[in-house]
Amino acid sequence: MPGSTVTVTIGYLFSNCRLDIRQGKELNHERCPRSKLYQQSIKYLGPPGSDSSTEEELDEVQDTNTAAANASRYLKGGSDSDVDDDLPKRIVQPAKEKRFEEMVNTAEQMKQNFDKINKQLEKVMRITESVKKAPVLYIKTRVTLEDFLNETLAAEKKMSHSNSKAFNSMKQRLKKNNKTYQEEINKYRESPDQTEEVKVSEEDLCDKDPKEITSEWINQKHKEVVSSRGRKGTSPFELVDQLTHLMRIAKTPPQKLEILFSVVSAQFDKFVNNMFTILDLLVKHDNIVVTVELDENLVAFLERVDAEFFKSMQNVDPHTREYVERLRDEPLLLALAQNVHDYFERRGDFKSAAKVALRRVESVYYKPQEVYNAMRKLAEETRKPTFPESSRAMMDALVSLIYKHGDERTKARAMLCDIYHHSLMDEFGAARDLLLMSRLQDSVQRMDISTQILFNRSMAQLGLCAFRVGIITEAHGCLSELCSGQRVRELLAQGVSQSRYHQRTPEQERMERTLQMPYHMHINLELLEAVHLICAMLLEVPNMAVNSHDAKRKVISKSFRRLLEISERQAFTAPPENVRDHVMAATRALTKGDFEKAFWVLNSLGIWKLLKNRDTVLDMVKARIKEAALRTHLLTYSVSYESLSLDHLAKMFDLSDNQVHSIVSKMMIWEELHAYWDQPTRCIFFHDVQHNRLQTLAFQLVEKLSVLAESNERAMEARTGGGGLEYAGSGKWQDNMSYRGTQMDGTSRMVSLNRGVRV
Amino acid sequence: MAETKENYDLTPRVAPNLDRHLVFPILEFLQERQLYPDEQILKFKIELLNKTNMVDYAMDIHKSLYHTEDAPQDMVERRAEVVARLKSLEEAAAPLVTFLLNPNAVQELRADKQYNLQMLKERYQIGPDQIEALYQYAKFQFECGNYSGAADYLYQYRTLCSNLERSLSALWGKLASEILMQNWDIALEELNRVKEIIDSKSFASPLNQVQNRIWLMHWGLYIFFNHENGRTQIIDLFIQDKYMNAIQTSAPHLLRYLATAFIVNKRRRPQLKEFIKVIQQEHYSYKDPIVEFLACVFVNYDFDGAQRKMKECEEVIVNDPFLGKRVEDGNFSTVPLKDEFLENARLFIFETYCRIHQRIDMGVLAEKLNLNYEEAERWIVNLIRTSKLDAKIDSESGTVIMEPTQPNVHEQLVNHTKALSGRTYKLVTQLLEHSQGQAAR
Repeated sequence: MPGSTVTVTIGYLFSNCRLDIRQGKELNHERCPRSKLYQQSIKYLGPPGSDSSTEEELDEVQDTNTAAANASRYLKGGSDSDVDDDLPKRIVQPAKEKRFEEMVNTAEQMKQNFDKINKQLEKVMRITESVKKAPVLYIKTRVTLEDFLNETLAAEKKMSHSNSKAFNSMKQRLKKNNKTYQEEINKYRESPDQTEEVKVSEEDLCDKDPKEITSEWINQKHKEVVSSRGRKGTSPFELVDQLTHLMRIAKTPPQKLEILFSVVSAQFDKFVNNMFTILDLLVKHDNIVVTVELDENLVAFLERVDAEFFKSMQNVDPHTREYVERLRDEPLLLALAQNVHDYFERRGDFKSAAKVALRRVESVYYKPQEVYNAMRKLAEETRKPTFPESSRAMMDALVSLIYKHGDERTKARAMLCDIYHHSLMDEFGAARDLLLMSRLQDSVQRMDISTQILFNRSMAQLGLCAFRVGIITEAHGCLSELCSGQRVRELLAQGVSQSRYHQRTPEQERMERTLQMPYHMHINLELLEAVHLICAMLLEVPNMAVNSHDAKRKVISKSFRRLLEISERQAFTAPPENVRDHVMAATRALTKGDFEKAFWVLNSLGIWKLLKNRDTVLDMVKARIKEAALRTHLLTYSVSYESLSLDHLAKMFDLSDNQVHSIVSKMMIWEELHAYWDQPTRCIFFHDVQHNRLQTLAFQLVEKLSVLAESNERAMEARTGGGGLEYAGSGKWQDNMSYRGTQMDGTSRMVSLNRGVRV
Repeated sequence: MAETKENYDLTPRVAPNLDRHLVFPILEFLQERQLYPDEQILKFKIELLNKTNMVDYAMDIHKSLYHTEDAPQDMVERRAEVVARLKSLEEAAAPLVTFLLNPNAVQELRADKQYNLQMLKERYQIGPDQIEALYQYAKFQFECGNYSGAADYLYQYRTLCSNLERSLSALWGKLASEILMQNWDIALEELNRVKEIIDSKSFASPLNQVQNRIWLMHWGLYIFFNHENGRTQIIDLFIQDKYMNAIQTSAPHLLRYLATAFIVNKRRRPQLKEFIKVIQQEHYSYKDPIVEFLACVFVNYDFDGAQRKMKECEEVIVNDPFLGKRVEDGNFSTVPLKDEFLENARLFIFETYCRIHQRIDMGVLAEKLNLNYEEAERWIVNLIRTSKLDAKIDSESGTVIMEPTQPNVHEQLVNHTKALSGRTYKLVTQLLEHSQGQAAR
C-alpha cells in the first residue's frame, strides 16, 4: 500500500478530532486519568447493573452495525490487535459447546488484554506527549471489541450462567470506558474505511491531512522529535524514520533543509552507535579473526564520517544554535576515533592506526587548551574515553606514532598540525625547528591543495605565535607573504575573495567551496592583519628613517609602504575605523616619535581581547614601540645633534638607562648610527660622515655588483642541482634525498623562514 | 649555591652519550669536587660497574660504601663467571694471539689484507673464527679495564677484519681505550678516523648517523680539552654544518664547550659570527652561563650582564669535568683554563666596549673588567703597546681616549669588491667543471 494514501486517510480522521476539540466538545482525558478509570472498572467487575444509557448506546451501535462489519472485514489480516474477527463467524458453526468454552477463555483473555491496553495507552500518551488524542490503534481495538460484543450478543441467546456473567461484566466495563472515547469512536465509525499500518511511534506524525499541515505544526513536531534525541528510550533508528517522514511532508524548502539537518545528526548518532557496537564486539571477542578487508572498512568508515562531519560544519550557518549543536557531536566522534585507534594498536596494525591518528590530530590541533578541556569533558560524558590531560600530550603521542608508521602525506600533514599546535601553545622555537627541519617549505608546492592550505594556516599561526612571544622580525617574515595582496581569505580557505582580474570557472568555485574551513577552525583575519601591519610598522618606520633620502632603496614591507602612501595622499584624515586606519594612525605618531599616542591608538583596537595573555602582549607591543620610536628619533635627528645625553633619551622614551644603552650600542655596532659613547659624561657623540655624491654612487654600484654576483651563484646552484659552493655537488644532493621526510634528520636549519605561502 | 652548581652540571646529559668506562673519570671528578654526596656517587659507580667486568673494583667500592668486609653473593658469582669467560675467550683467541706475539711471524704480514687472510689460513690455520675470537677477547679485555691490551688487540683486529660494521666498533673501542689511557695524540688520530667513516658510510637511517656524530662529539671532549691543539680542533669539528645541526637537534648542551673554545681561542674569530647566530637561535632551548655571556657581549651589548655572567662562568668551569682540569703546582692547584677563559672574556668585553666608545673612565673600565685600577691601567697599556688597541690614556682625567677610526671610503670600496672577483673566479671554474662533466657523459 502506498504510504501516501495511508497518511491521507488517517490524517483525515484526526484532523476531525482536533476540530472537535476546537469546537469545545469535551474529551475528558485530563480530567479522567487512566488510573481512575481502571479503578472504576475493577468496581464494575461485581454484579452487573444496567441503565438506560447502555441500551441507547446499544441501539446506536447496532445501527451502525453493518458499517462496522464492513470495517472489520476490511481490517481482516491487517489488524494486530488481540481480537480476531474471525471468531464470531466460527461460533455459528457446529460443536457449539466446545466453542463456548473457548469463547469464555477468550473473553477472560480479552478482559486482561483490555486492562493491559488501558495501561499501555497511559504510557503511550505520556511518551508522545499528546494528551489530546488517543492513538488510533486504541480506538480501533475498542471499536472492534464493541462490535464483537454486540455480534456475540445477537448470535448467542443461550449462555451458561458463568459465561453470561462474565460477558455482562465485560460489556459494562467496555461501555464505561468507551464513554471517554466516544467522540473518537464515533468518528471512527463514520469513516471506517481507514487502514492501520503505521507504527505507533510514527502515528502522531503521520496522521494529518495534507491540507491541514501547517509549517508551524511541522516546526513544533520537529522540535519535539529533535528534543527527544539522546534521551533514554528513543532509539536513533526510530528518530531517523520519523524525521525522514517529516521531511517528506515539510512545506517549504528551508524547513525541509532544517529537518534534513536533524536527520543527519540522527543518522550520525545511529552511525556512531553502530560503530561502537562493532568495536565492542571486536574487543570482546578477541578470537574473531578479522580479515584485512574489515579493517580497511573500519578505517574507511571513520574517514568517511569524519569527512561528512567536516562537510556539514562547512555548510551549516555558523551563527546559528544548530552549529553549536553539531559541534557537540565532535567529542563523540573523537571518542569513536580513539576507540578505533586503540583497537588497531592492540592488533598491531600500525598503518591503519596512523591513518586514524591523523584524523584525530586534525580534529585536535587547532584547539587551545581551554577548548580541548571542554571537549574532553563532553567526550567523557558519553563513553569514558581517556583523553590525556593536556592537548600537547595527546598531540605528542599521536604525532610520534604517525612519524613512525604513516605515509608521506600523512606525515607531512601531521607535521603541519604539530607546528600549528606548538604555535598555539606559544612554543615558537619548537614550531620553527619543526618547520625548518621538515623542509616542508620546499616540498609543499608539490602537495595537494588541502595540505597547502594547512601549510598556510600553520604559517599564519606561527606568525601570530612569534608576535605573541615578541619576535617581531620572524613574525613579519611568516606573515608578510600571506598577508600582502588581497588573498588572505583565499589562502586560508576562510571565504572566497572576489578577484577582478581572473574569472573563476564554476568548477573552480565548487572546488574552492569544498576546501573551505569550518567556522570554528578559522584564524581571525582581523587579528592576522593587525599583527602583520604592526610588525611591518615596527620594522619599517626606523628603516624609513635610515633611508630618508632614498626611500625606495630598501623596502621591508611593500604592502605596508603602499598603504602608507595611500593614507598620506588623503587630504583629510578621519579618525581610524578599521585595523588598517588604526595602524596608519599609529605609524604617523611613531614617525614623529610620539610613542604614547601610537600605543594608545593600537590599544584601542578590538582584537586584543582575542588574545589569551593580552596584558603581556600589550606590554610587549609597548616596549617595541618605544624602541622603534627611539631608533627612529636617533636616525632622523642625528644630523642635527652634536651630542645627546643618555639620561635625556631615557626620560624621553620612558626606557631604563640600560635599555637605551643596549639599543644605541646595537645601532653603533651595526653601523646604522655613526656615533660613539662618551662614557664619563654619558653622552652620545655623533661623528656623521657625509659621503659625497660620487662616493654614494660608488657604494650603490658595489652593492648592485654583489647582488649580481649572488644571483649568478644562485643560478649556478639551481643548474647544478643544489651543489653548493662549499660542498661537492653529489654529496649534498644525496644527503637531501635521504633526509627528506624524516623528523629528526638534522639537515640544515639555516633556511630563512619567510619562504612562501602557496595555493 | 649548591643547587645552582648542580644545575650547571651537565653529567646527566653527557653521560648517556658516553661509554660506561668513559663515565668513570667524570664521576671521579665529581667526587673530588664534592658536588654530590659521596654515597650517591659510589652507588652510581657500582651501578656502572655491574655491567662491566671490573668486578673486583666494584667489590672494593661496595665495601667502602657499606663499610663491610663481605662482598655480596651476586658479585662473587659474577666474578667467577667473568674469570671463566676470560679463560674460554683466551683459549679461543690463543692461536692468533701467539701469532701476533711472534715478531718474526708478524713481519710476514703485508699491506694487502686479502693476502694476509690467505696466508694466515694456509700457514697458521687461522680463519675467520679465530679473528672473531680476537675481537671478542679484545672487547672482554676492555670490559675488564685492561685498556692497553684492548687497544693493541683492536688495532691488530682492524688490519685483519673485513666486516665494515665490526671495523667501526673496533675503532670506537680503540678510541675509548686511547682516551682512557690518555694518549691524546693517538686518540685524536683515531677520532678523525672515526669521523671519516661516519661521514662517508651510509647509515641505516639519518637518525643513526646523527647519533653517531653526537657520540663522537662527546667522546671528543676528553681529547679536545687535553690535547694542545684541541681547542682549534673542537671548533673545526663542531662548527661544521652537519655537526652543528646534530648539536642543535639533539645535544644543545655541547654549545657550552664550543662557546668556551671560541672564547679561549683567538684563531677562530671569523667563525664566531656564525656561532653567535646559532646562539640566538638556540637560546630558548638551552641556557648556560658561558653561552649567555657571549649573548650578552655580542647580541644584547649588555656589559653589566656580561660581567655578572663572567662570575657564573668561573663557577661553571671549575665544576665542569672537561673544563675544570686541575694542575697541581706545589701547594696550589689551579685551573688553567679558568684563568685563560677569564682573560679572554675580559678582552671580549673590552674590545666590544671600545668599539662603541670614544672616551672611557678608567675606574669604570677597571670595574667592568673585574680588575683594580692599577691592574686595569697596566692591562690597557699592554694592549696599546702590543698595538691591539688604538687608544691613549689621559692620566689627568683618568680616561682612555679611543682614536676615532674612520674607515677610508676608498678602502671600504676595495674591501667590498675584493671578494667579488674571488667569487666570480670560483663560479667560472665551477661552470667549467660542470660543462666538462656533462661533455664527458
